Amino acid sequence: MLSRRGTLPFLVGPPLVWLALFFLLPLFLIAAFSLRAGSGAVGPSEPWAPSAEHYQEVIGTPAFVRLLGVSVLMALGIAGLATVLAYPVAYFLTFRAGSRAALFLTLLLIPFAVSYLLRVMAWKLMLGPEGGINSLLGSLGLTHEPLSLLLYSRPAVIITLVYIWIPFAALPIYAAMQRIGRNHLEAAADLGAGPWARFWRITVPLSMPGAIATFFMVFIPTVGEYVTPALVGGTGGVMYGNIIQGYFTRSANWPLGSAMAMIMLALTLVLVAGALRLIDLRRLSA
Amino acid sequence: MRARLQPYRNPAAVAMSGLLLLSACAGTQQSTGDASAGEPSVAESAAAVEPNELLVLEWSGYEAEDFWTDFKTAQPEAEVAFEFGDTDANILALMQGGSQADVFHFYTGWQQFYVDEGLVREIDTSQLENWDKVPPEYQELGQIDGKQYFIPWDWGFTSILYNTDEVDEVTSWDALFDPAYEGHVSMWNDGPGAVAVSSYINGWDETALTDEQLAQIEADWIEQKPLNAFYWTGEYVDLCPAVQDGTVWVAYAWQGCYATALAAGDPVGYAKPEEGRNSWVGLYGISADTDSYELALEFLDNKLAETTCANAVSLFYYGCANGDVMAGIDDPVLIEAFGLDDPTILETTNFTPLVTEEQRTAWTSMWERVQAE
Repeated sequence: MLSRRGTLPFLVGPPLVWLALFFLLPLFLIAAFSLRAGSGAVGPSEPWAPSAEHYQEVIGTPAFVRLLGVSVLMALGIAGLATVLAYPVAYFLTFRAGSRAALFLTLLLIPFAVSYLLRVMAWKLMLGPEGGINSLLGSLGLTHEPLSLLLYSRPAVIITLVYIWIPFAALPIYAAMQRIGRNHLEAAADLGAGPWARFWRITVPLSMPGAIATFFMVFIPTVGEYVTPALVGGTGGVMYGNIIQGYFTRSANWPLGSAMAMIMLALTLVLVAGALRLIDLRRLSA
Repeated sequence: MRARLQPYRNPAAVAMSGLLLLSACAGTQQSTGDASAGEPSVAESAAAVEPNELLVLEWSGYEAEDFWTDFKTAQPEAEVAFEFGDTDANILALMQGGSQADVFHFYTGWQQFYVDEGLVREIDTSQLENWDKVPPEYQELGQIDGKQYFIPWDWGFTSILYNTDEVDEVTSWDALFDPAYEGHVSMWNDGPGAVAVSSYINGWDETALTDEQLAQIEADWIEQKPLNAFYWTGEYVDLCPAVQDGTVWVAYAWQGCYATALAAGDPVGYAKPEEGRNSWVGLYGISADTDSYELALEFLDNKLAETTCANAVSLFYYGCANGDVMAGIDDPVLIEAFGLDDPTILETTNFTPLVTEEQRTAWTSMWERVQAE
């Protein structure tokens, strides 16, 4: 039988190797590409000459800087909406679903069985001129012609991404609520606290670490999102990730795309680190 | 609409399509030479161990079996898979980035990059049974420094596809910039395409644009941006469905979408702009890293075969490099679609020029900035 020290490499080694190969190495390559002079799609065997020209170009292009700001704001809004909307779902599963919690949790996870792309495409159909929402509005007499705002717009991107994220967002909040001891709530009730007081003074603070984790879990990948804007955003719903993707594909300019990606990564890390400094998670969960 | 094809009927059509291609060659750097040079000994020895599978880097829509039906018949056991690109820059980037594709498909203007960067293998045309059906002026399009690196296959026009119920007859590329169609326009998501359109409208030579002209083009497309429902990336993936469901009224488009919508009975027209249409030729190359050279050759040979080429012509309104098939066109709709009966077609067509690396970078970056605005 292996000692505790002996089992550690077997437990930690594979994930570390995996992360090194498929996370750190690609990240290093992107950083290296971003410092490479010239354009083109370049393989790692090509000669390499360090240059900051691409960083200068990105920062010196107002349209890119503005779009990065817009994308961060969109991600903040989408993460906030997804967290707020997922919170009641998690609350219901924890405190109201009772013995059917497992069933409802399974129902919540069913969308994961359908590919991300198909779910976005489904929204494209729903938001389209002949889609379900326009048909409903028309049949109710609320509109006389299909609303073009519903599809190929920034709101379409936000609606679709919030929908995509809600099932994911509910899980960390649900996990945090599961850890709330029922004795806290019972003690509060014995001391005369009503349902609202118990919710605001016990449930909300103790579930806050889960809600904050949810917020960042949605915010971080949404900043660089490009699939959903490409499908439902049209020309007005473009996000920063679409331009990165464009430089890697349409424009065959990997170095510039890499520089854009590194700038986005750095900004996201700064924002998350800053937010975590402001929010004392240990105090919240204590 | 499916047109009927009868081989060897219309020598004028061959002559006209040959002239079109000859003009497309004008100003390019290809030179003629011994096109039969290849590496048969290497290929033959490799054939014994070649996998019976092929990965084709294609444009969305071209994976349809109609486009490679002769190969399917000749090699029913071969596995053909497709990887997709949506612009010439995208195809080049994928090849530069290490795509595993054995065969790749791109369009005129981008030949030199593949040769310069060692991405393409010379083609042994002596192994192609259908090669003699390809007119010499088409063959030369695939030659660099006297070597045959590419097989020409499809050709056609780019113009404005429009909804005849919603839009009066379109006579200029300007229609893409008409505020009357706000929310119902769709431009191809491609910088070089945008530069070409602006050059036609302004009467500029797209190969000799000044910085000021390029800045003007960028400003024009930024102003045009709100008119678009979306920039399309796949002809059959997002453009055609949007044209057919009435979302898009005016679009930069190739003939394939026009043919599809017309066949479905949709109210569509394909403009003859006063500035002239754009014309392009599609080329296939074999990857320098392929393990399936022999199979790739057979694939390309069968692309040039009669049924496959006839499908491209009659189902999708694309011209094909097989001269016999083009000579067989007698359907008035196809003759009109290819402009084969138009004696002024050469004067009113803008042929796609060769692109330099500097232009490629400038035009694609310009387009990314337009999108970011």
